[in-house]
Amino acid sequence: MQFCLLDRITQLEPGKAITAVKNLSLAEEYLADHFPRAPVMPGVMMLQSLVEAASWLIRAGEDFAHSLVVLREARSVKFANFVDPGKQLQLEVQLVQSQGNHYTVKGKGLVDGSTALSAKLVLWSGSLAQQDPHQAATDQFLCSRLRQQFQLLLQRSDPETSGKT
Amino acid sequence: MRWYWIDRFVEFVRSRRCVAVKNVTLAEEHLHAHFPGHPLMPNTLVIEGVAQAGGLLVADHRQYQGNMILAKVPKAVFYFDPRPGDTLYYECRLESIRGEGAVVEATVRCGERVQGEVDIFFADAAHGPRARALFTDLDLVTMMHYLGAYEVGEDADGSPLRPPQHLQDRLSTLWLGGPGSE
Amino acid sequence: MPDKQEIFEKVQEILCEALSVDEEEVTPEARLTADLGAESIDFLDIVFRLEKAFDIKIPRGELFPDTLLQDERYVKDGKITPEGMEELRKRMPFADLSPLEENPDVKSLQDVFTVEMICRFIEQKVAVEN
Repeated sequence: MQFCLLDRITQLEPGKAITAVKNLSLAEEYLADHFPRAPVMPGVMMLQSLVEAASWLIRAGEDFAHSLVVLREARSVKFANFVDPGKQLQLEVQLVQSQGNHYTVKGKGLVDGSTALSAKLVLWSGSLAQQDPHQAATDQFLCSRLRQQFQLLLQRSDPETSGKT
Repeated sequence: MRWYWIDRFVEFVRSRRCVAVKNVTLAEEHLHAHFPGHPLMPNTLVIEGVAQAGGLLVADHRQYQGNMILAKVPKAVFYFDPRPGDTLYYECRLESIRGEGAVVEATVRCGERVQGEVDIFFADAAHGPRARALFTDLDLVTMMHYLGAYEVGEDADGSPLRPPQHLQDRLSTLWLGGPGSE
Repeated sequence: MPDKQEIFEKVQEILCEALSVDEEEVTPEARLTADLGAESIDFLDIVFRLEKAFDIKIPRGELFPDTLLQDERYVKDGKITPEGMEELRKRMPFADLSPLEENPDVKSLQDVFTVEMICRFIEQKVAVEN
């Protein structure tokens, strides 16, 4: 399974705000275990979708200067409702503040216009070469793959929204 | 991808605490996408491991009644990202519990280092306006068995941990050499 | 036994942690839902933290009367009945029910849940249990 949950970035103000979507399908194999008789999106996968949206927001804001964006803190993560197969989770993330390599964001996930998830997150952005200069090639490789994936997520926008990116 | 984010219990003290192990391995496909060239375990999946271990601690306390699920993560803090070859230990402590909900606080360790601290708030999906039946008591006891909880676990008085008798009876018809056949 | 200021400071800390808000936002008049963003899931989290911090037991419905809201005698068509108001006055002597007296809509009950209300509840509870 590819661990890129988002299907499309629908709006983007680099470094400020992003909206994206994730479709949930019975074709996603982990749903067979969660749960066998009642498939629902695991809460942490809803959260991971939000983390990914936040990560693209940060990367776009830095123009992919760093290869790694990872979760460092999650606070007040609340799961208000389920995401069922066949539904779409709409993610909205805004930057609250940034301090050095750390970014604080707040975000929510909606299904049919109702909030299913809300959270405050702190993410760290950095490069491997910062710790070990020999890793510069890995940074380059990873950045190039990330840029490709980003273009893919943007290209799937409707023509009328792609003008906003 | 299977939805198992812990591999084994190494300690299980009914209604008090448990410790579960999670091995991080390159055999996990998602690591090759997170990230290409530099596999790191996503910390959201660390949260899920704590939720699974802590959730079973809560479920066992409630004799596997109800459907206690992840409702809120008040706080999750991570100090570094686990890598293939790491073994994580999720030490979960049952802090509060009553009919409507429960709180588990956990420390995640990797070797000598603390990798994270995660607090989980569970609520019962079986009640309330959006009630759902997600899993059965037998599902929970089966998972406890797979994870070795009944091999290492103990009750509050130190006696070996066992599922409720009516579930034990149903379990031994499912597997050969299960606890019911001793 | 903690004094009013100590109680306020502990309640403030608890709400900051449970609701992920800054200390400055947690004023006595602040309403849990409208001002601090509390949702239904947060109420039990807050109860657990109060129990732990003050070493008290808060049975279900004693601080946040959720069971009352399901009772047809007390809530009808989204409005709190006169019997409901009477019941609330009895169960919640620590609360300022004026928002409800002005508008008995069930939604106004949320405006009753303020930081001040929690502090008065704790003061009363701690005095009794000592």
